[in-house]
Amino acid sequence: MDTEKSPAKGLNASEIPIALVLPGKANGQTKWWWLTALCVIVSAGLFYYSRQTAGEPIVIEFLDGYGIKPEDRLKHHGIDVGEVEKVELSSKMNKVLVHVRLLSNASTLAREGTQFWIVRPTFSLDSIGGLETILGAKYLAVVPGPPTGLKADRFVGLESPPVISAKDGSLEILLDSGTRGGLSNGAPILYRGYKVGNVLQVGLATDARSVRARCSIDPEYRDLVRTNTKFWNRSGWRLDIGLTGIKLDADSMAQVISGGIEMATPDSPEPAVNTGHRFVLHEEAKPEWTQWQPSIGHGELWNRLENRLPQPQRMALRWQERSYGFRVNRQLTGWCLPLDDGSLLCLKEQVVAPESALGGTVSIEVAGLSWAPDSIQWIADPGRAPQDPRIIRFRPTGKLPDDVPLWASKNISSAPAIPCNAVLASDDPNTSVSLDAGRFVADGTIWSIDSSVVLPNDLLGVPVVRAESNEVIGLLVPSLKSSMVVLIK
Amino acid sequence: MKLKACHCCGLVHSIPDHKPTERVYCSRCGTSLGSRTNKTKMQNRVAAFTLAALALFPAAVLLPILEVQRLGHHHRSSILGGIWDLFAHGSYFVGAVILVFSILLPLGKLIAMLELTWLCSLEEKHRARTYRWMEIAGKWSMMDVMLLALLVMLVKLSGLVEFHFGPAVIAFSLCVAFSLIATLSFDPHAIWESE
Repeated sequence: MDTEKSPAKGLNASEIPIALVLPGKANGQTKWWWLTALCVIVSAGLFYYSRQTAGEPIVIEFLDGYGIKPEDRLKHHGIDVGEVEKVELSSKMNKVLVHVRLLSNASTLAREGTQFWIVRPTFSLDSIGGLETILGAKYLAVVPGPPTGLKADRFVGLESPPVISAKDGSLEILLDSGTRGGLSNGAPILYRGYKVGNVLQVGLATDARSVRARCSIDPEYRDLVRTNTKFWNRSGWRLDIGLTGIKLDADSMAQVISGGIEMATPDSPEPAVNTGHRFVLHEEAKPEWTQWQPSIGHGELWNRLENRLPQPQRMALRWQERSYGFRVNRQLTGWCLPLDDGSLLCLKEQVVAPESALGGTVSIEVAGLSWAPDSIQWIADPGRAPQDPRIIRFRPTGKLPDDVPLWASKNISSAPAIPCNAVLASDDPNTSVSLDAGRFVADGTIWSIDSSVVLPNDLLGVPVVRAESNEVIGLLVPSLKSSMVVLIK
Repeated sequence: MKLKACHCCGLVHSIPDHKPTERVYCSRCGTSLGSRTNKTKMQNRVAAFTLAALALFPAAVLLPILEVQRLGHHHRSSILGGIWDLFAHGSYFVGAVILVFSILLPLGKLIAMLELTWLCSLEEKHRARTYRWMEIAGKWSMMDVMLLALLVMLVKLSGLVEFHFGPAVIAFSLCVAFSLIATLSFDPHAIWESE
């Protein structure tokens, strides 16, 4: 026994335990390679995701940076829409260039007319603002330019917030006076003491013979301004000291500080004015002006415009197609124009499903009704029907709801040879887009629209209305690159 | 006679002849002692996890990992961006420590592991050296520690500042997890076992 355990003799083979042998699987491959593939996809996905959330870069010039620095925010209505990437001096050392990257959903801000300024604490007699930036970071604020503005990536920032941004549809008029008389930017324009507009800008006229105030009248009150309307200055306060006592005449603190303009329209009002009309700003009101009491249905013009534009209806083409062996629902949404003879006017692509659509799954939906394409009665050429193969007129089975506004078919006409001013009419007049004649290029049966005008795809099939005659002349095919109008011939 | 120590409890066994389909286990603790067929399987598994970790590594290092928001001031940075900031502010030592121990060494370790299990381009002598080097690098690669630091920050600072994790956190956590699994499944005996 002891000889077997002696180290000199080494270990006895029988002392060494024998390992257990059990049957097992023989494959030399691992199941884990799918995980590797998954991780590659996850990694690529994360990179793609973080690239996608970043939008367009823009550069804004400022005279003073006010301590703005990278990673400060660009906000619109208090919501982040971009981020400062870099702040640098211009090559001449006289300007600050702020590089901002817009979020991808805010890239429409990058167009001409958009205004930027730096929000910082400001204290003045008439306002205290930017208090949140005393402790917190400075930020950039923005007012988007008009939707028809050209794309731009370089802007000149404002030194102070724009006092007023004129509302869409407001009336801009010019007032000339001999002296400034206490007027300043943002002063209210009052009608019977009620605010109907603002002074946008006060400056010397180009020939320095007068002071010119650019004023904006809110859209709902533009009918109050007639060619014979009188404007007078009501800046500051008036203190009358007489035998009966002291009379202080002031309307509001804001008016005391920044001045104000009062206006009155005679009892027999003349026609309404258009943007750019000039008036004289009187030093004082004549006594009878304050007695005038005309009855003017203001906002009437606005309502009239609203009623005169066609009101297209939402339209959807739904179908199913096979994708990787699965049935997938697809849809194309757009607009169609219901006509007074019960038919609907729309683009061909809005009613004809692609060839990949599965049979029997195609349906067309308008105003809560749904039809299969087979059950629809196509109208070949009744009278003034469009003959362009891209535009289709059809009569659906069943009646549209009574509240759907119909468009008189006599107000459909062929387009003029030379492009004209036109309105793209969606169902809400506020979102309708007016385009100048110069934005169109005539090209056979279509007018292509200047590529600088970015129209959302959502506007597919909206009627294009000739501004002068208020007749529908074509339907819109929007695209992010180049939109066009398919004309009715 | 072929002898092999159990790498779990250390007991030396003699390995009886067996078919390639059979597996060998320690008689005391039941740990698998591995076999030739298991070697390629083990190597494949380690390589799969290592490649997965490597695929996630760029996303973990380059993408924003943390966004701190305090009184309206924002700061967002990736790991590499953070190191760059440290260098830019003159903290060369701290920056270098993080760069070496959180980026270079983990990356080196993953690449070494990949070489040992998948590429096998080096001679046996050099592979043994690579393995020793990897063991040392593994001790000093501190990716998991950094993950812990992030979590501590989340718990401790959440009242003072507002912060959000960026997309890199997902990649970073998965990367740490997979490189851990790869290290655990790696059996160094495979390096010396004859083909």
